[in-house]
Amino acid sequence: MDIYLPIAEVSVNAPLLVLLGAAVGFISGLFGIGGGFLMAPILVFLGIPPAVAVSSQASHVVASSTSSVMAYSRQKAVDYRMGGVMAVGGALGAFVGVELFRWMRLLGQADLVVAVSYLLFLGVIGALMLRESLTAILRRRSGLPQARPARRRPMWLYGLPWRMRFPRSGLYVSAIPPLGLGVFAGILSAIMGVGGGFILVPAMLYVLRMRAAVVVGTSLFQIIVTTAATTILQAGRNQTVDVVLSGLLLFGGVVGAQYGARASTRIRADELRAILALIVLMVGVYMGLTLFVRPENPFALAPGAG
Amino acid sequence: MIQLPPPPPAIEAPAPIPEAPLSEAVAAAEARPTPTIAADLTQTEVEVDSTYAGARMVLYGAVFNPTGRPTDVVVVVTGPPQPIRLVRKHRVAGLWLNSRPVVFEGAPGFYMAASTRPLGDITGFTTRRRLTLGVDHLRIEAPAERRVVTQYGVRDVVVSRLGDEYLDWRRAVIGLKTEAGLYAEDPGGVRFVDRGLFRAEVTLPSSAPTGRYEAQVWLFQDGEPVSVRTRSLVVRKVGVERALYTFAHQRPWTYGVLAVLIAMLTGLLASRFFRRN
Repeated sequence: MDIYLPIAEVSVNAPLLVLLGAAVGFISGLFGIGGGFLMAPILVFLGIPPAVAVSSQASHVVASSTSSVMAYSRQKAVDYRMGGVMAVGGALGAFVGVELFRWMRLLGQADLVVAVSYLLFLGVIGALMLRESLTAILRRRSGLPQARPARRRPMWLYGLPWRMRFPRSGLYVSAIPPLGLGVFAGILSAIMGVGGGFILVPAMLYVLRMRAAVVVGTSLFQIIVTTAATTILQAGRNQTVDVVLSGLLLFGGVVGAQYGARASTRIRADELRAILALIVLMVGVYMGLTLFVRPENPFALAPGAG
Repeated sequence: MIQLPPPPPAIEAPAPIPEAPLSEAVAAAEARPTPTIAADLTQTEVEVDSTYAGARMVLYGAVFNPTGRPTDVVVVVTGPPQPIRLVRKHRVAGLWLNSRPVVFEGAPGFYMAASTRPLGDITGFTTRRRLTLGVDHLRIEAPAERRVVTQYGVRDVVVSRLGDEYLDWRRAVIGLKTEAGLYAEDPGGVRFVDRGLFRAEVTLPSSAPTGRYEAQVWLFQDGEPVSVRTRSLVVRKVGVERALYTFAHQRPWTYGVLAVLIAMLTGLLASRFFRRN
């Protein structure tokens, strides 16, 4: 059953999009991530204009993150104060990112920025995660004790002004690093259509050294705010949000996310991270390949006009 | 502007030339019977709703040919103009990077030329160029790349900044549009189904732009256009599709806020629903 999307102005298979939303939602619930990094490339592959794909799926991320945050909130695993500080940065970053993306589109360099961002961020994060999780799996298999993470935080976290207390995270640090992280995630959100969870979670764990229990919930809370800001800005500035498209995606997405969250309890944490690392790495390399492979047709339509 | 010959009446009786003085006979010979054409579309309005997956219609018509000499029919369907931005990928330090985009103007969002024979066999280059028959004769230009220079001592020569590559760029525009099903040239697309009665199929892909389309039906004899008929076709969004599109463009900020609210509500409902189960 095909359905015509009013903003994307293409006709797509509706059940396929619902299934895609469910599959990405399942992965998102399984790993506690937004899943945007997976969705945008698939939508583009299905023939949806990249600008519309990136903007419309941001609202899919809003829906699946809201559904997850409710679950984490009940377990008191969301640090609203920390999330709020990061969200302020996120909204700021989204504003910068949307303008940046608009400018890059005018220069015809939007493809390049997207490809480089995917290759760089997903490639690096995927490789680091894979190394860490494989080490953990090998240690467990050979019966060695797990390496304990160093508890020391970088000293510069304390040297900066505007220190704030974050009781739920067990932190008393400057507000600048979380704010900066938020800005960074906001820019990525606008350019890649992602929530930025794959950057935020490791940064919160290894740089801020927040209490591990509140990391995922807090990152999802900040993702809601950032992607909501991205959606509104993309709709307002570029008119590239297709509600029919995002409706189909989030319909499948919220259901998939719930099943994913249930399935996650049946798989070991380190194996889960290894699978996620592989997916992240594969998407990063796939998107980056366009930079290295000789294009079949050297000419391409640049989005932005007509 | 395309110079169209004045449309003759749909049906013209052969002019009578009975025993006339010499001067009148000459005048009558000048107004000797010419073949004429009549045509119409099976559909003059295409409504784009949520089930829209492109449209297919038939252009049919008749040729009245009192002369007995063979004629050819050419059907040209042109959509609303749509500027195109094109980039070319270049290899820079091992990476494939985009060039500065070049804007082409005058390209129709949809173009189809169907005929009874290959266009080159029907009429000459000049006529094809003048009447824009065939994708190679579309008036696609990159005005921003134009420069006026003095060349070989001749002043005000218009050249393109793209230089020798200009034709490659132009060909790429047509190639990409053809791939998307938006440009087509079918030398056998007009078929005679009965004596003087012809038909041609027009296929609009779902990505064809909305707006006013024009179908020109030309009749050629001895390489010259002798008759033409123009029919128009409107493709427009209706119902929900139209409402959403208008809303998104006229009140973009409200639209964005609503999109977010819907997303949040769906997330909340899903989490409620699944907690109960």
